[in-house]
Amino acid sequence: MIAIETNDLKKAYGKMAVLKGISLQIKKGEIFGFLGRNGAGKSTFINILTGIANQSSGSFSILGAEAHRSETKKKIGVMPDYSTFYEHMSAVDHLRFFSDLSGNPASKERCIEVLKSVGLNDHVRKKTKKYSFGMKKKLGIAQAIIHDPELLFLDEPTSGLDAESVIHIQKLISSLQEQGKTIFMTSHNLDEVEKICTRVAIMREGLIIKCGTMDELKSFYRSTMIVKMKHSPIPPSERETLKKWLKGAGTDLIMKDQSLSITVSSEKKIAEIIRALNQSKVDVYGVHVEEPSLQDIFMEA
Amino acid sequence: MLLITMSLSFFTTFIEGKKSRMYVIAKREFFSLFKSIKSIIVIAILFFTSFYSAKYSEFLMSGIELSSYEQANIHSSGLQILILLFGMLFVTGLSHDTINRETHERTIRFLVTRTSKSSIVAGKFFGIWLFWTVCLVVSFLLVSIFSQGISHLIFGQTLSLLTYQIALAVLVSTIISRPSFTMFLGVIVGIAFPIIGIWLVFGSDSWFSSIKFVMPYYYLLNDDFTYLLILLLAAALIGIATQLFKRREC
Repeated sequence: MIAIETNDLKKAYGKMAVLKGISLQIKKGEIFGFLGRNGAGKSTFINILTGIANQSSGSFSILGAEAHRSETKKKIGVMPDYSTFYEHMSAVDHLRFFSDLSGNPASKERCIEVLKSVGLNDHVRKKTKKYSFGMKKKLGIAQAIIHDPELLFLDEPTSGLDAESVIHIQKLISSLQEQGKTIFMTSHNLDEVEKICTRVAIMREGLIIKCGTMDELKSFYRSTMIVKMKHSPIPPSERETLKKWLKGAGTDLIMKDQSLSITVSSEKKIAEIIRALNQSKVDVYGVHVEEPSLQDIFMEA
Repeated sequence: MLLITMSLSFFTTFIEGKKSRMYVIAKREFFSLFKSIKSIIVIAILFFTSFYSAKYSEFLMSGIELSSYEQANIHSSGLQILILLFGMLFVTGLSHDTINRETHERTIRFLVTRTSKSSIVAGKFFGIWLFWTVCLVVSFLLVSIFSQGISHLIFGQTLSLLTYQIALAVLVSTIISRPSFTMFLGVIVGIAFPIIGIWLVFGSDSWFSSIKFVMPYYYLLNDDFTYLLILLLAAALIGIATQLFKRREC
């Protein structure tokens, strides 16, 4: 079942195109990570899907229905990128107001339970004008989940939080997925996305340039893997011939007495290099293939 | 009292079911209006004027030539004049930033992701309207201590005028995005609007005076139900505000 579907979604401010045609399908139960540099159009995309902004053209549906219908809005929770609250209201008052507004009123006990789940147990009665940036972030997540939505939009949920809180929120996001919720999140923390997201899209200049599971993205970029080998000393007579052959097999060759590093285009090449070393009377002691991290993929993209 | 009962009944019916989210916004707006020091001052001025103008209204009858209808309702004249001349100032003073404050501080995002933009505008409008209706009812009750009754016509006219002023404040708050500017503009409009409006009503028949038909004062001249047209004007203003707000990004 599809949770979010967009078709050629475009957004322009005057002549400046921010989204240049985004077509995307996100299945129910996924944690979908949305990556991109500042100004890539991530927040604009979320803002359109959640009704904060209007698209210039294209269409989209949320949970199989028109996004702006009241019944659809009831099923989604949104944490916007920039969270400010009503200064003279406490966290509990906020959650009660927002849950009422979502059409699924929460009891005081439920509000306190949700605030505890985001790590705000000691500040439930405090007015939000006394909240720190991190506390506001947590309240932003709490207000997004208070009405028990099916689909969550989280715009940089852990940015600005301390390490302990980041781990806490990541666990919370994973547990929400285990409860069957779909999560669409943006983040600048690539490790976080790699750790908790089931699928990832990378956006650049208003377009999705890569989209897939972590394995799919890694296999795509595996074509340029770095191979490091430890081996016995290369006989001087073989050294130049071997070096010449290795340069033809890959790029970025670094040869030392008993180790080498080379970037190759496929896994087949690794076997060929090992065979070539053996033929030159060099024993291979160890092979280390550097898998591309999401950071590598992101930088490459 | 009949009018207010009908209005409240309409309001309650309207907010049930699908419109319950509008009610949540209206309720919050209504209670938040009682919390500021500005509102307390306005309420104090309203009640003080109502009570003392009613108490000493006999003095007016001695100095001015009044119709029999005006003589019969002299107790509420102080309150009427106050709303006629300063109603706009009071309304804009309290609610000039009802929409743009939320947009400016981005709290509007929590609202638009939960409910429709039309519900937000309607909720804001009804919350403010209910606040002023309560204030007006209490003021008329104070007046009734001396007049031994309430003129439904005068109450209806005053409430219609306030409804228009509230709708205009909501529209201005939707059009102008900076709260500091609407505060400044609110004072200017609050002072100039009744002066221009009354001047146009009694002014010459130039093309310029046709503007009086979109202002509320012209419809208060007759002692009949013409004032109900003011409610149509208010509805048009809210309609425009809603359409503008729908196009605006938050």
